[in-house]
Amino acid sequence: MSKLGVYDVAVRYGKIPALEDVSFTVSEGERLFISGPNGAGKSSLLKAICGAAPTSHGRIEVDGDVLNGRSPEAIARLGLTMVPEGRDIFGTLTVEENLRVGTGIRRDKSAIETDIEEVYENFPMLADRRHANAGALSGGQQQMLAIGRGLMTNPKLMLVDEPSLGLAPNIVDQVYQTLVNLQKDRGLTLIIVEQSSARAARVGGRMLLLRGGNVVGDGDSVKFAESDLLKEAYFGQDTPEGPS
Amino acid sequence: MNAIPQLFFDAMSLGGIYAMAALGIALIFGVMKLVNFAHGEYIAFCVFALIVPSTDAVAVMFIGKAPAIVLIPILLLVGAAVAVASEFFVFRHMRRATPVAMMISSFALGFVIQNTLLLVYGSRPKAISLWPELNKPVSIIGASIPLLQIIVILTTLIVVVALALLLKKTRIGLEMRAAAENFTMARLLGVRANVVITGAFALSGALAAAVALIMVTQTGVADVRMGGQIMLVAFIATVIGGLGSLPGAVAAGFLIGAASVILQGFLPLEARPFRDAFLYTLVIVVLLLRPDGLFTSNSTKPRV
Ligand SMILES: Nc1ncnc2c1ncn2[C@@H]1O[C@H](COP(=O)(O)OP(=O)(O)OP(=O)(O)O)[C@@H](O)[C@H]1O
Ligand SMILES: [Mg+2]
Repeated sequence: MSKLGVYDVAVRYGKIPALEDVSFTVSEGERLFISGPNGAGKSSLLKAICGAAPTSHGRIEVDGDVLNGRSPEAIARLGLTMVPEGRDIFGTLTVEENLRVGTGIRRDKSAIETDIEEVYENFPMLADRRHANAGALSGGQQQMLAIGRGLMTNPKLMLVDEPSLGLAPNIVDQVYQTLVNLQKDRGLTLIIVEQSSARAARVGGRMLLLRGGNVVGDGDSVKFAESDLLKEAYFGQDTPEGPS
Repeated sequence: MNAIPQLFFDAMSLGGIYAMAALGIALIFGVMKLVNFAHGEYIAFCVFALIVPSTDAVAVMFIGKAPAIVLIPILLLVGAAVAVASEFFVFRHMRRATPVAMMISSFALGFVIQNTLLLVYGSRPKAISLWPELNKPVSIIGASIPLLQIIVILTTLIVVVALALLLKKTRIGLEMRAAAENFTMARLLGVRANVVITGAFALSGALAAAVALIMVTQTGVADVRMGGQIMLVAFIATVIGGLGSLPGAVAAGFLIGAASVILQGFLPLEARPFRDAFLYTLVIVVLLLRPDGLFTSNSTKPRV
């Protein structure tokens, strides 16, 4: 389950192209980092996968189901969940209400309560604030809530856009530790946008490098961190080759 | 000596009607950032649904013949149905349109409903006698108050509490609140846009029906244009309350009702015909001081 295929996908906002021609596949249980400079199209790629941005070309599949043209709510029902850039917490809802918004699509209703407790175990800071308005949480707590909220849909594939944005390094460590553990426990497939190649290398996994709306590199995150490829992707003019 | 309780009941009952109408508008604005100017016409539609379609001057009761226990739920359903239908046939096709385009369509839809009513029922206002016994006065703390006023106040309280419980305690309520704050994010979590929007329209239409029942009992008249004035006041209430804020809409509805009654009661006789000018001056002052409304909400971000 949860093999994702992205084939020749393009996304444009009006006349502005955000993704030009992107293809890759992700297998079940894999961890894929997506990196690249600002404006490379990382967020647009995740949005195209979860149905928040329409594709102007190409095909996206999960386990043989074509996602293009489906609504975000239909895609969520296929087991994809999105933890967006900026978290998009529902600030007027309580922490626990945030966790429950996505449970409407679950068939295993009986597991919801234990899953909520599990989120609180993973993120004890949230447990203390469960009846507080989510808008009053700190940035780190909001990131944890966004991840917990995504998990409550019981996903097979989780897309996380820049979880480290604006967080203190020790909080980032904690967030990644939890993501890695969850992946181990649940066999989640994880796609994470991460600007820091050092961070991606430390956590470990495959890395896809985007620049100007195209894939310019695909390989092991550790090798990426050692190569000049990243520097070229961020600053260079030429399209670099693969990492090894 | 009994003028004060009298004023109080006048203010509360008028405010209650405004609050319910404002809630109907705020609910839809909350989930889809649409100011639905057809809301007043939903009210008129519900009033006319009480009588047999005909252009005759004398109204013959139709749904209005039924006993209250049957009549009320049927009329609430009629209101919900007309609102849901207007979403299905008009607004659903405009999900990606700008808020201004949607607002203009709602005006157009209002005209369509109004002209349909004109065609079917004629343009002359008709006398309807619905529950006339409710206009009999009862005596409370030295004041003589029409029973209807008390019923209106109680109804408003029940509606507000029921709506609050629905939003706070039910699945659809949770989804509506999430969607009102960030529609795209709610959909990414599997919340069905169509369910939430249809739900909001159904509730809004049922509120319009409740207002219709009260207005017709109070005035004893069915007039094709009766939705216009209340729609205007209700719209102002949603703006003063902070567009999209439900508690704000209720509070502002009561505030305008109270201001209107107080002006009526205390303005010098010669100035009373200009009561509304004073009222809207107050509204302008409020909006100058608090452009985002008295009870600002953070859900006025663009939709979807
Ligand atoms: N809603 C939008 N409307 C118009 N253009 C957009 C929109 N969102 C993104 N873009 C443009 O598309 C391109 C890719 O943006 P995207 O957000 O996908 O980049 P990113 O790699 O996630 O960048 P960052 O690292 O800053 O988050 C950019 O040129 C951006 O200006
Ligand atoms: Mg981004």
